[in-house]
Amino acid sequence: MLTFLARRLLLIVPTLWVVATVTFFLIRLAPGGPFRSEREIPPLARAQILHQYGLDRPLPEQYGRFLGNAARLDFGVSYKYPTRTVREILFEAFPVSAELGGWALLFAVLLGVPLGVLAATRQNGVADVGAMSLALAGISIPNFVLGPALVLLLSLSFYVLPPALWHGPASRVLPVATLAVAYLAYIARLTRAGMLEVLRQDYIRTARAKGLSEARVVFKHALKLGVLPVVSFLGPAAARIVMGSIVVETIFAVPGLGRYLVNAAFNRDYTLVLGGVLFYALLLIVLNLLVDVAYTFLDPRVEMS
Amino acid sequence: MIARSRWSRGRYATPHGARVTALAAVLALTPAACAPERPPAARVASAGHYFGSVTPPRENILRMNNGAEPETYDPGLAVGQPDGRVARILFEGLTVPNAKTLAPEPGQAERWETSANGLTYTFHLRRHLIWSDGTPLTARDFVWSWLRVLKPTNAARYAGLLYPILNAEAYNKGQISDSTQVGIAAPDDTTLIVTLHDPTSYFLFLTQFYTYLPVPRQVLARWGNQWTRPAHIVSNGAFTLAEWRQQDRFEFRKNPRYWDAASVRLDGIVAYSVEDLNTSVNLYKAGVIDWTTANYIPAPFIPYLFRYADFQHQPYQSVYFYSVNVTRKPLDNVWVRRALNYAIDRDAIAHDLLKNTRDPWGNFTPRGYPGYTPPPPIGFDPAKARACLAKAGYPEGRGCPKISIMFNTSEDHRRIAEAIQQMWTRELHLSVELSNQEWGSYLQATTQLQYDVARRSWIGDYLDPNTFLACMVTGDGNNRSGWSNPRYDALLRQAGREVDAAKRLAILSQAEALLLDESPILPIYHYTVNDLVKPYVHGIYPTALDTHPLKQVWIDRDWKAGAPALADARARMLH
Repeated sequence: MLTFLARRLLLIVPTLWVVATVTFFLIRLAPGGPFRSEREIPPLARAQILHQYGLDRPLPEQYGRFLGNAARLDFGVSYKYPTRTVREILFEAFPVSAELGGWALLFAVLLGVPLGVLAATRQNGVADVGAMSLALAGISIPNFVLGPALVLLLSLSFYVLPPALWHGPASRVLPVATLAVAYLAYIARLTRAGMLEVLRQDYIRTARAKGLSEARVVFKHALKLGVLPVVSFLGPAAARIVMGSIVVETIFAVPGLGRYLVNAAFNRDYTLVLGGVLFYALLLIVLNLLVDVAYTFLDPRVEMS
Repeated sequence: MIARSRWSRGRYATPHGARVTALAAVLALTPAACAPERPPAARVASAGHYFGSVTPPRENILRMNNGAEPETYDPGLAVGQPDGRVARILFEGLTVPNAKTLAPEPGQAERWETSANGLTYTFHLRRHLIWSDGTPLTARDFVWSWLRVLKPTNAARYAGLLYPILNAEAYNKGQISDSTQVGIAAPDDTTLIVTLHDPTSYFLFLTQFYTYLPVPRQVLARWGNQWTRPAHIVSNGAFTLAEWRQQDRFEFRKNPRYWDAASVRLDGIVAYSVEDLNTSVNLYKAGVIDWTTANYIPAPFIPYLFRYADFQHQPYQSVYFYSVNVTRKPLDNVWVRRALNYAIDRDAIAHDLLKNTRDPWGNFTPRGYPGYTPPPPIGFDPAKARACLAKAGYPEGRGCPKISIMFNTSEDHRRIAEAIQQMWTRELHLSVELSNQEWGSYLQATTQLQYDVARRSWIGDYLDPNTFLACMVTGDGNNRSGWSNPRYDALLRQAGREVDAAKRLAILSQAEALLLDESPILPIYHYTVNDLVKPYVHGIYPTALDTHPLKQVWIDRDWKAGAPALADARARMLH
């Protein structure tokens, strides 16, 4: 177990190095550069800015410097927002995205898993068809439709909730709901599929034959394995959801990370792109590792080696 | 559409040609010159219908949308409109714009004199001015702040706006290193003497631009580029910065140390950084914000909003045009360019496609420059277009190479490009293709002349045709068409030296006529400013430059919907 963890943790370094290198060169391959605008920046000012950020140096030198600084978690200042460092931007925006994503994921799991279990235990019954129709709708309606529809209904037609901005508990409801629905629906479907497979297995038949109550069979014995697909989905899903959703953050004016990262790519804000990508990569690696650890607790057949 | 195109962020440096000779005529920015020709909001104002909630806020605080997150609100380095709005809430320059006409009025300077030759401005600052930290503000603060903008290592993108000042350009370009040679001097605490290169008639208009605002050197010395943080920043305007959360909001509080604090009626301002146009309007409709600010309204909403009394609509000093790369075949042929120009049906685009939200426009300069008579606009004339194409050697389009229209990603740009593709195919039998580019690629292609025909737009910085025409001078960084015409360059130089205002404008009109005839640019429509202001907010008027001094804005918290007297008053205000 410890060797496994140690090896996985050591692998993080080369993985991040590859991600950093690929991103560094890919963003520079994109046409245009960070200091172009619809109106001309005076050539002298442009040269001064490029010099200030070391962008007039040869590429290998820029790369070396970037790696050296990145190792010390220093990504420099954002080219677009020159009074702020990339680290500051990530540290201010990430908690917002994490809060939004965290609530959404929590609701998705708390409602999605029971919905999937309900559907699986009443396979082809009314509850199953109802729950799965809802899930299908949840997956099919894109959040850029769902969000404005909720705003129209709950903020503009009836003023129950604020239409946007991130102030106070009431402002969390609509963005969390908009973000959660698709995940909820997907988790419900995964749970149903997982449960259906497990419920057919011999050890479940044994449990029933021993005279255990249906509730005990389902929740004690079947659920543990039935949610495994959900658990493996949760790793990357959690990484993605806490990094922020550009759509939800834009519709509800949430000051999260998603908008920053997408705009950074459009603006060729090299430093912010690199900082954001590395941060995301690290998050993804760590969460995937957690998923692997969780597997050993849920499924006795899996061993860490 | 506008925010997507980044157009609305772009209030950028005037090209180097800011050095222009003229007399005081331009400074008479009369209301008539700026007034809309047809203010649709005024027509229906008395009906008393408003868009969404009209319950006044509980607090005496103006809540507005400032738009995209500012890149920086350091006045000397600020570039975009949202950046400038924040800078102007915090700082006050020598002159301040009148809320309705934008004519310069005394600000930090209580009066000024101009020498007979128009080359020397002597500003007399108010006595006992202080920064919000209590430090005295003197004429030396202005000298220091302006030289800071010009200092080459500071790389201020708008430094060009200071070039009318003697030796400012040479110092900024590193040709001289002695800053005392720049024509700015403070002989005592309250006197600022500015010597100009040429009699720049619009100079008092420039001094209210944010690049000319003073910055607190005592704070910069201590905090460096961190000086704009809410914890450090010190300002001299009607408000101070209390809080700033990135991508979220700015909170301003009334500055008790402001010289005219007695006439500031708001306790504060909250400016949200909401970039999405739909979200902006949702917040307005729900009554969370009182003012959308210019153009933070989705284009499809605009025809529908005309019926509401709280909707403001006004021509804006900006033109949407196609730039033609004259270094490529067949566009190097002036007859081909003319054919393309005459084959654009601007009325169809503005009226049908854009549902009257824009005005069709056949000139390069926008309307409303005092004293300026523009040349006759390019109109839609298919027969003439065909004749021009035949003269170019491609009768009925035969043998003419394919032409590509490039635009940056936006639904409206695409629809317009498709319409023009159809017009050129229908009228000229040309083969036209469309090329959609993401923003960064689009900028690279336009600056490096890697296109045939490209969508562009231009916003004026001051009310004078020079702010447009100077872009098309040979080699100007904003020319971006490869077009070069010695006669045009000579006309602009001549206008720069001309002292007589009327003569100067007549020369500029000649230059524009030459430009339209040569057709390196194909004008399409005239932009408008559209915004929503709650009826209980007073003192925000439509202006030609999207500049809105907020010092005297006030909120009528006892306002009741349907009070006809007020609705009428508002209707009059819009005239």
